[in-house]
Amino acid sequence: MSDLSIEVMPGTIFAFLGANGSGKSTTIRMLIGLLRPSAGTVEVDGIDVIRRPRRVRDHIGYMGQKVSLYQGLTLRENVEFYAGLYGLAGAALAQRWGALCERFALGEAEAEKPEDLPAGIRQRAGLALATLHRPRVLFLDEPTAGVDVRSRGLFWELIQDEADAGVTVFVTTHFLEEVEYCDWAAFIDAGRLIANAEPEELRQRYSDGYRIEVGLPPAARDSAARALGGIAGEVAATSGGLAIRVPALDPPVLAALDRLVAAGARLDIQQPQMNDVFRRLLAASGAPA
Amino acid sequence: MSRRFWSNIAAVAWKETQVMRHDKAFIGVVLIQPVVMLVLFGFALSNKPANVPWAVLDWSQSPTSRRFVQEVMATGYFLPPRPVVGYAEGRKLLREEKALVFLAIPKSFRRDVERGRPAVQLLLDGSDPLSAARVGVYIGQVATAFETRAAPQDPPDSHMPVREPGPIETRQRFWFNPTLQDRAFFLAALGGMLLTNLCLSAMSLGLVGERETGTYEQMLALPTTAIEIVLGKLVPYVGVAYALMLMATIAAGAVFGLWPHGSWLALLVVTLPFVLASLGIGVFVSALARTSAQAVFISVFFIMPSFVLSGVMYPYQFMPHGVREIGAAFPLRWYQIASRRIIERGAGMAEVVVPMLALTVLFAVVLAGVRWRMKPRLG
Amino acid sequence: MSWRRLRTLIRREVRATLRDPFTATILVVVPLGALLVFGFVLSTSVKHLSLAVLDANGTAASRRLVAELAATGTFDPRPVSTRAELQRALVSGRASVAIVVPPDFDRALRRGAAGGGRPPEIQVLYDGGEAVLAGNAEGFLRAQLAHTGATLATTDLSRRPVPGQAGVDVVTRALFNPTLDGTRFMVSGTFGFVLSFLTTLITAVSIVNERLAGTFEQLQVTPATSLEIFLGKILPLGAVFALDVLLMALVAGFALGVWPQGNLLFFLVVSTFYVLVSLALGLLFSATSSTAAEAVQKTVVFSIPLVQLSGFAFPIRNMPAFFRWLTELFPATHYIRLSRAIYLRAEGPTALLPEIGFLVLFGAVLIVLALRSLETRA
Repeated sequence: MSDLSIEVMPGTIFAFLGANGSGKSTTIRMLIGLLRPSAGTVEVDGIDVIRRPRRVRDHIGYMGQKVSLYQGLTLRENVEFYAGLYGLAGAALAQRWGALCERFALGEAEAEKPEDLPAGIRQRAGLALATLHRPRVLFLDEPTAGVDVRSRGLFWELIQDEADAGVTVFVTTHFLEEVEYCDWAAFIDAGRLIANAEPEELRQRYSDGYRIEVGLPPAARDSAARALGGIAGEVAATSGGLAIRVPALDPPVLAALDRLVAAGARLDIQQPQMNDVFRRLLAASGAPA
Repeated sequence: MSRRFWSNIAAVAWKETQVMRHDKAFIGVVLIQPVVMLVLFGFALSNKPANVPWAVLDWSQSPTSRRFVQEVMATGYFLPPRPVVGYAEGRKLLREEKALVFLAIPKSFRRDVERGRPAVQLLLDGSDPLSAARVGVYIGQVATAFETRAAPQDPPDSHMPVREPGPIETRQRFWFNPTLQDRAFFLAALGGMLLTNLCLSAMSLGLVGERETGTYEQMLALPTTAIEIVLGKLVPYVGVAYALMLMATIAAGAVFGLWPHGSWLALLVVTLPFVLASLGIGVFVSALARTSAQAVFISVFFIMPSFVLSGVMYPYQFMPHGVREIGAAFPLRWYQIASRRIIERGAGMAEVVVPMLALTVLFAVVLAGVRWRMKPRLG
Repeated sequence: MSWRRLRTLIRREVRATLRDPFTATILVVVPLGALLVFGFVLSTSVKHLSLAVLDANGTAASRRLVAELAATGTFDPRPVSTRAELQRALVSGRASVAIVVPPDFDRALRRGAAGGGRPPEIQVLYDGGEAVLAGNAEGFLRAQLAHTGATLATTDLSRRPVPGQAGVDVVTRALFNPTLDGTRFMVSGTFGFVLSFLTTLITAVSIVNERLAGTFEQLQVTPATSLEIFLGKILPLGAVFALDVLLMALVAGFALGVWPQGNLLFFLVVSTFYVLVSLALGLLFSATSSTAAEAVQKTVVFSIPLVQLSGFAFPIRNMPAFFRWLTELFPATHYIRLSRAIYLRAEGPTALLPEIGFLVLFGAVLIVLALRSLETRA
């Protein structure tokens, strides 16, 4: 890792993206005090992690790549174990776990052993465990790896709930589309930070823009083309109507589109693909895509 | 048998060899273990007493008694004796493990020697019976050979009867190993020990490892039959086993001068059923284990009793009867009999027919066991 | 250090270990198996050694000699008729020992008893290839022959007193183990073997598995300190092994008749401490291994020579100087000395202070190193 400088705002979801082997896990481990960086500082929740790694542990929750449930123990027993380490027991634990269980839909899985649970449920259980002790910061390392697409959606809902409640979430992932769920995105490649901005900004800077298909009867095409001509980069005619490209969905564009919709047009908005964004990013930063 | 039987086997064997080359744990077994065992059994471990600490209570304090002590020292097994002044002190030294034996020479020793009924008392630390027995024997030998005729320093006495040695004199000759070195005993079985280790842990580990990584199932999906797979796996192991055996034999010869006195051919031939039987056991173990750690565990805990009960460390002839027979079920028992016969006693093919047959029978039994166990899996 | 956290850690360890049937089996079967194998197998009483006899004399006297040798059960005489046959018997291993009775045996015996002439000379041939065997059989054979000779001499002649003894008579007595039975020796050493080997193995595998599953990393992120993690692992395993020691001691007593001469409680305390030391060593092994199989291999390659050199089966005294020095560095060596001293010679804590001190010192070093290995890596 070299030259990495990031700042995460409280209560936000920070996505840390990169290909496999780019250094995501290394970074997260440095942030939580498992690895010591050769130079630099790490501060989490106001605590200097390098000098006092232990102090930070009560405030953070971590979910590693391998969901760390002990085989041979049931989920409930795993919960009791980790809770015990955080000083959570008895009635307080019952209450907290009861609530988590319901929210994460783990009721039926409680008495099962992790090896008997499907990956989706295991991941949810891992997240539940990470938040068990109400940490202020959550570190999630590739939490949705190996999970089917539908469960992934559910999972991100849960993460967003946490952020809404004020928890700061730092997530690494190699699924580029998951950026959509996040407030901020940093891309790394081969240990270097090549982007560090809001997703929207990245989309604006590193893509062709939005491609919008406007479904119109042929008669209305020309007028629509004129209306959009000033704001869209490209306007092309298609069999179904128009296809335009805009760099961003800013107010003028939205207003124009609204008018078209009101006039009966159908819209099909295609966001710039993150894959695309990433590739351009890499190209721009001088690294091979 | 399909037309591609041999080529399939060759393909599997080649793949196996490649895997072996990159397996660090395997290389460790093949390279480090032999060296470690060679050093242990060639240099370090021995049952032959050395540096024996002992104590002497010499009440006689005569040239005769001193001569006796000197003759004991002359055997070379003992450290210089600690003189004690009383029984209690001697026993205390035994108790504190500061002396292995305690020799008490009576006051009348010199007169006894002259008169014809000399006796000394020997107290042994029985905690380590093997050592104690041997040391007792050495002192006994000195005692028997002790010249009880009048020593030159003593004043001549013509009335003294000429002493004779006892009714029966025994003269020993140790065939094949004149200096009775334990080293040869162990080194001649070194190859067997290394091979057992290799065939068992490496083989079982290899198979279980494949099952874990899923390559095993992949192989089953290919147009190779189960037999071809198993045989293809065995071939490189047999090769490595032979290489290991030759390495051990040559090392024993080059470093310790223990070259086989008998037929090299016989040694090579008898190695085959032994290796096959041991590999078969390795395959069987892999069927029992679910994880690779378990596989190594099980094979280690098969290898241990194998070493003990087969007679490589301690002569099986000394074991109680039931236990002796159990040891005969281990391939290593027969192999060490054969290899010791060949290396130490110069035996040829004819003398090792029995072990070879026994090994072949064991291999057949193991093979049947493997097929019975693997049937549901491979079927 | 938080006792509550430690309790939580211990509870999990106990649950996880006891629920794994494989580990549970190993923990019971291996110590008992080792005990029985070593205890039963290695007794020094010699029985039924096959003895090839070439009787060139063929008289009542020589036949009596052979019969006496067979009478005690030590030897199984097998008659051969030619030297070649005798040689073949030794080479093929059908006979471990061979004696040749000279043609003039009875005459020489009478002559010797009468006080003149050379006594008969029995040639004894050993298979030196079986060095261990030969060394021990030698003593027995000499004793038997001498004893038999004396008996023969006196019964053959009409009550003439035996003119004298062979050289010097040695009256031998063995302290602490009068029958020179090897069982006690091996049993007391087996504790050292099992506790060195098995404990290290199980710990190494357990930790490596945890690292691989990611649970170890998770543990490091919780408020649990390295000391707590260390104790949470070591204490329950230590307790299990301490129970193992007790179990072994009981089985050794009831099945093999070997009870400690000294204080059983003292023995248990010492053994438990040694267990903790071994467990720390297992932790160190696991810190350097990336797979469980590798951890096992490392343990095996390292532990076997360590145990062999520790005086468990082969006396340290017999080793060359370098190894004698080397072995003093192993905690196993000191523990085996301690266990033998307590089991066989009933020694007490005061006499064994130096050994205990050494064990404590080395144990402390290992434990510190193991703790360090649990800390986060740079």
